[in-house]
Amino acid sequence: MDFAIQDTPEQAAFRKEVRAFLDRTVSPKIEHMADPCDMSFEQYQLRRDLGRALGERGWLYPSMPKEYGGGDLPAEHIGILTDELTRIGLALPPYYDAGGRMGAPTILVWGTEEHKKRFLPPICRGEVRTWQLLSEPGAGSDLAGIKCTAIRDGDHYVVNGQKMWVGSSHGADYSWTILVTDPKGERHKNLSWLMIPMDLPGITVTPMDLLATGGEGGSGCGVKNTVFFDNVRVPAGNLVGGENNGWKVATTHLEVEHGGMGRMADRRVVYEFINLCKERQDGWAIADDPGAREELVNLYIESEITRLFATRNHWLSHTNQPRSYEGSQYSLRRKLSGLDMGEKMVRIAGPLVLTKDKRWAPLRGSIEYFQRDSITSLHPGATTDIQRVIMARRLGIGGREREKAANLR
Amino acid sequence: MDLSLNDTQQLIQDSARDFVRGSCGRDVLLKLDRDPSLVMSTLWKPMSELGWPGMAIPEEYGGTGNSLTDVAVLFEELGCGPVPGPLLSSAVLCARILMEAGSDALKKAWLPRIASGERVFALALTETQYGWTADNVRATAKRAGSDYTLSGTKVFVHDAHFATDLLVVAKVEGGKGISVLRVDAKAAGVSIRALDGFVTSVCEVLLENVKVAAADVIADGWPAAERAMLAVTPVLCAYQVGSCKTVFDLSLNYARERTQFGQIIGRFSRVQDHLIHLVNHLDAARWTTYEALSKLDAGVDAVASCHVAKSVAGESHMHACDYAHEVHAGIGVSREYGLTLHTKLSRSLYHCLGAPRLHRKKLESVLGLVTA
Repeated sequence: MDFAIQDTPEQAAFRKEVRAFLDRTVSPKIEHMADPCDMSFEQYQLRRDLGRALGERGWLYPSMPKEYGGGDLPAEHIGILTDELTRIGLALPPYYDAGGRMGAPTILVWGTEEHKKRFLPPICRGEVRTWQLLSEPGAGSDLAGIKCTAIRDGDHYVVNGQKMWVGSSHGADYSWTILVTDPKGERHKNLSWLMIPMDLPGITVTPMDLLATGGEGGSGCGVKNTVFFDNVRVPAGNLVGGENNGWKVATTHLEVEHGGMGRMADRRVVYEFINLCKERQDGWAIADDPGAREELVNLYIESEITRLFATRNHWLSHTNQPRSYEGSQYSLRRKLSGLDMGEKMVRIAGPLVLTKDKRWAPLRGSIEYFQRDSITSLHPGATTDIQRVIMARRLGIGGREREKAANLR
Repeated sequence: MDLSLNDTQQLIQDSARDFVRGSCGRDVLLKLDRDPSLVMSTLWKPMSELGWPGMAIPEEYGGTGNSLTDVAVLFEELGCGPVPGPLLSSAVLCARILMEAGSDALKKAWLPRIASGERVFALALTETQYGWTADNVRATAKRAGSDYTLSGTKVFVHDAHFATDLLVVAKVEGGKGISVLRVDAKAAGVSIRALDGFVTSVCEVLLENVKVAAADVIADGWPAAERAMLAVTPVLCAYQVGSCKTVFDLSLNYARERTQFGQIIGRFSRVQDHLIHLVNHLDAARWTTYEALSKLDAGVDAVASCHVAKSVAGESHMHACDYAHEVHAGIGVSREYGLTLHTKLSRSLYHCLGAPRLHRKKLESVLGLVTA
């Protein structure tokens, strides 16, 4: 077994190439704000510029096929790209692009050739930013209970309703959206996915006031929004995966969202916090306290387990191994251990981790943001309870056959 | 990155699985648990014939020089039983200590005989002031001419009742540090007694004026022995992972078959939660363990990973059994059901090669939280 991304000569050359590329391409003006809500439009554009530069080489969506603008790269190369972006405080993609990140692999499975040729290259080349639109005021965990409708009218679908916890600051070009296409149809057989251009008339985007955005780390998400659709006419050709077949399509989307793809986890906050506790000021360090040291070691061990679950999922997904409960297991772990690490930080360092005051906040307020983010992160991509439900089904605890994971390729 | 088993490991897994299924059914394991003296007479010969005692020993000393991950794959399968016996103590732990610390003469004399299964070694380290560190060692070897006389009390020594030889950790007169001595288990002055109770394979070892030849003394061998112990720790963890796996399978099957209130209990979300906790512990132990092993085999710094592995596997093994008992309720504590073999083991191995607390303490230094 080999857990490390041990560079072969070829991989080492690739890492060198990536590093050199990032050195000359990443703008020195890019700032790493503790709270992504503080990201300015200019900062967002700098990240999009980087995305386009990555996309030119197939590095923005490196696992996607080349013919659709991806890189067709093996797992190790994707790991190298992710590593190198993480090293400089960014993510892949370097901006919030959930609709692309989860929509693109779904379109690859369910879209027609025409869909793939039309939608995937702009996503993979970084020319567009895409949001995902799933939750509604009355439908969170119960996604199949959505009410937002798309009714066929000639060559168009007419969309009406409200979506919540959507996207980011600074808008999007497309919305990858699940809607009811047959309001009288049977549950699970009445849904469809539409790729909606955001410049169509009748779309209103209103920012929400939330504790934090939750779980998007280095991608710099910013605010979440409520999106209202008022008789929005979407070309019928933008429906992907077949009318009323949306629940099946959703299983692929949700497999990605529930952690099936596996990301190499970013543990920057853990290392920064440990270093903070070692810092000696006026002859005193937080780690001088034996109780604090015990908690710090526990925090480190917890983060090691989380990292290893992510590593395993990364390997499973990028080598096309059979999966079952592992995606949800990782999501559950990431959410709960994030919450637990936040609490441990409070126990170890007290109010120091709770302030973003310019004078007193450590690490430019990133720890304070982690406190809010770790609580907010409990819900996006399905709650902890839903993750447990999925695990139970996949493990076949209820006596039924083990539910199979959705296809990602 | 490749987290799959290679062809060799696949073969090891298959042959170990066949052995556990074929020779170590539940009734056999229960019988061996009631009468541990049967372990050597029934299991040791077939295990030796399969070449298992030689796996962790280099070819030049009569073994097959397998990687630690290879060895761990075997132990995971044995843990699934759980198959008892001194294989880990003798052929992995003591063999590794001899390799790391022993003189050429000691290695040549004993490693081939350990590899063939002819001799069985156990490590006698822990004493009344219990702990897996050198600080707790009071046993002392005094000079007697050119040889030594060893005295001391060792307790909670794993697998000593199976042993033909002991590696005893002691202070040696004239030595600077802590030393390791090879002692014949049948030598005059050695008495070994297995301890009864909710405990698997731990013994009292009394040493009263035991004569030890100078050639059998590894002077100041403790640092090398400690390195060996740390490297072997993830193999023990793999054994615990195997045990967790069986405990999970037992619990899953039980939840899918046991009917109460007119339905199988696996339909109840509270029962499902126990199984989810259990599989989370199993996987945490599994992946921390195998990462440590892969680092050891790759020759990169594995110290932190070894400490993490035992911290996690030690706790996970106990928790896994606890959740299994919540699922099983009454039938789980019926000895003939078999779950309690694992539960007893999870308690007995918690401290073996250092309790999680000791490994967490060591991590404080590794992470630089305390300056040495």
